[in-house]
Amino acid sequence: MSTISLHDTHHDDHGHGHHHETFLTKYVFSQDHKMIAKQFLITGIIMAVIAMLLSILFRIQLAWPDKTFPLLETFLGKWAEGGRIKPDFFLALVTIHGTIMVFFVLTAGLSGTFSNLLIPLQLGARDMASPFMNMLSYWFFLVACVIMMSSFFVQTGPASGGWTVYPPLSAVPKAMPGSGLGMTLWLVSMVIFVASSLMGSLNYVATILNMRTKGMDLWKMPLTIWAIFLTAVLGILSFPVLVSGVVLLIFDRSFGTSFYLSDLVFGTEILPNEGGSPILWQHLFWFLGHPEVYIVIMPALGISSEIISVNSRKPIFGYHAMVYSLIGITVLSFIVWGHHMFVTGMNPLLGGVFMITTLIIAVPSAVKTFNYLATLWRGNIRFTPAMLFAVGLVSFFISGGLTGIFLGNASLDINLHDTYFVVAHFHLVMGSAAIFGMLAGVYHWFPKMFGRMMNPKLAYLHFWVTFICAYLVFFPLHFLGLDGVPRRYYAFTEFEFMNKWLTVNTFVTWSAIVAALAQVAFLFNFFYSIFRGKKATQNPWEANTLEWTTPVERLHGNWPGEIPTVYRWPYDYSKPGAAEDFIPQTTPFSETMSSNLPHDFEGNEEAERIQKEWEATNKPVQQ
Amino acid sequence: MVSTIQQQEEISVGLKSKKFVVWLFVVSSTIMFGGWTSYYLVFMASKGKGHGLVLPEVFNYSTGVLLLSSVCLFLAARALKGGNRSRQRLFLWCTFALGIVFGVLQFQGWSSLYQTGAVLVNNNAAISMVYVVSGFHLLHIVAGLAFVMSSLAGSYKNVSQEVAEYRQDITSIFWHFIDILWIYLYVFLLLNS
Repeated sequence: MSTISLHDTHHDDHGHGHHHETFLTKYVFSQDHKMIAKQFLITGIIMAVIAMLLSILFRIQLAWPDKTFPLLETFLGKWAEGGRIKPDFFLALVTIHGTIMVFFVLTAGLSGTFSNLLIPLQLGARDMASPFMNMLSYWFFLVACVIMMSSFFVQTGPASGGWTVYPPLSAVPKAMPGSGLGMTLWLVSMVIFVASSLMGSLNYVATILNMRTKGMDLWKMPLTIWAIFLTAVLGILSFPVLVSGVVLLIFDRSFGTSFYLSDLVFGTEILPNEGGSPILWQHLFWFLGHPEVYIVIMPALGISSEIISVNSRKPIFGYHAMVYSLIGITVLSFIVWGHHMFVTGMNPLLGGVFMITTLIIAVPSAVKTFNYLATLWRGNIRFTPAMLFAVGLVSFFISGGLTGIFLGNASLDINLHDTYFVVAHFHLVMGSAAIFGMLAGVYHWFPKMFGRMMNPKLAYLHFWVTFICAYLVFFPLHFLGLDGVPRRYYAFTEFEFMNKWLTVNTFVTWSAIVAALAQVAFLFNFFYSIFRGKKATQNPWEANTLEWTTPVERLHGNWPGEIPTVYRWPYDYSKPGAAEDFIPQTTPFSETMSSNLPHDFEGNEEAERIQKEWEATNKPVQQ
Repeated sequence: MVSTIQQQEEISVGLKSKKFVVWLFVVSSTIMFGGWTSYYLVFMASKGKGHGLVLPEVFNYSTGVLLLSSVCLFLAARALKGGNRSRQRLFLWCTFALGIVFGVLQFQGWSSLYQTGAVLVNNNAAISMVYVVSGFHLLHIVAGLAFVMSSLAGSYKNVSQEVAEYRQDITSIFWHFIDILWIYLYVFLLLNS
């Protein structure tokens, strides 16, 4: 992939101002990071809508397992013969819902959008390190999406072994209908997706480390960039392991090797594979899979740090602690994967080690949570839609994070493993929280992306209905899990102990339907505002970061003329003595003599001396 | 408008960042092979057996050829630094040819493995793994050859010294990496039979 980037050294990254744009190069094969961000976002939104509709389908089955809905047959044909979703299709639905949400929406949709948009804009760069590779990254992503969706059009249906595609279901093509062509397409799509994700991540890291504007040292970067940076590092270090696992799985499926297969009897037939171990897939998968959940949540955490600080009109509480806790999460996330495998017959001692590392992750996570709360504390809060979603993220992160402490415990996990308790946990802590982070980002940076504002009233409606319904959907699932109800079961009527949960399921499904309807408010608002929204001003949220110093109109190269220099950190909000309640990063200290503090100068004695002289002559009132 | 000096600076920063991308790719590729060799170690520990083969002698020769190609590439880079492009081209072609020879030798290695009955589709996953790692390494060689070609193309087109050195640099990073990678894999397979 890197070879191709060689050929564009002559004409990219300095082409601003004298670039001939056609429709194709501007909107389709764009190499401009802002356009690529929009492409990622809109593709991500479309995939999210698809995944949401899939979830409504299987929620309908869970709520009314014995009812028939002739309409379903009209749309789904033989997958819902007689108006009831078939068990095989139910499994396909949960599998593809999970895959799309985790990889296509919350990895590519979230990281792809905000890394591409914010890295050059918040750091002061003309574009990414390799704009061409950046474009490839989007197109690989789109191809992966198309291949994944195409599996709905094959006769045996999409992959259905769960989003973790454990062998042998995934490795033996005849194991069940979804193990056939659908599974092959899943694997092909995923390899292309990883290539896309890697091209993106390599670019993000290279850009952040090499292309910051003058004055933008690492400790002056906004927390969004820190989060995106560490997310990209996680991606570079973990996605290749998924590739190595997937390659072996493809060999098992298509060539007959025995990496993951052993001692299988299929009906009366004994399969020839011998000596492989399905547990090894789980190790390789979760070595990616666990960092992956932090790849999902960290950009959302970074986005909300920024938004909470801007809208509390206060500096983020504990900037350094926020960065160090992100680094802590990054490092720890590589040594906790075993907690997904406590019940695979793991040595209890090893289980204990994974338990301890898992519980330690609670520390940096809690640091972040408390810092959010401390930033909000006595702030001059502006409840913009973005702010509401960011606060919503904090809420979900707390309530979902708490159950993580239960699940991380190796002995409790014996009971809770593979139950609805797990479903409730991760849908709150990484599902809803990350989606809220993403939505917060969309509301906050919409004016930057499209030069227009979204309608706040519709946004408030969207927020409140989604927020309440998300809790109504996921909170009751904890209790199902505590009662031992396993996830991914097709019909609760088949098991007597699960019967009593049917009414709860009906309630959950209704809540999910209402939540889905609320998304219409968002979709309408989003697409309508692109064309008809109120025109945005240059800095609508009165924020400090660099992206708000660019002109409202899209400009290849971002800044006309020179890239601005950065003098201060991005969180100088409500600084005592300052004329306004925000001081952009581009304002030098010489222009804010009345509000400078000794530690602003980072030990620069000359600057301290000038400041003291100024204070001696213009002594402000001491309190 | 941005002045020419600034533009020049921005190009240099751009090249530097792209070189960094190659380094990052090296990291992620290392991790992919790390995934396979970890699989191998865990497999060996739990099953109590490795591939159990005497690896074909031809792998020794291919290792030598690959080492030699790295030496040639080093000489090419030195020639470029000294401003001698025709010498650079000569050594780049040598690298390219040795890369091809390496590929041919690897195929011979596989065919002699195949003849001894150690085939890819095997109930001993460790033997299958020999093919997987050497096969994916060979894919990296193909990519490496593309890098060499791009350096060569730059040399023939007489691109500026900065761009030529940039192309030569990323070729070197990548080629020396796949050289070291093969030595790692080969030694790994020799030690864990």
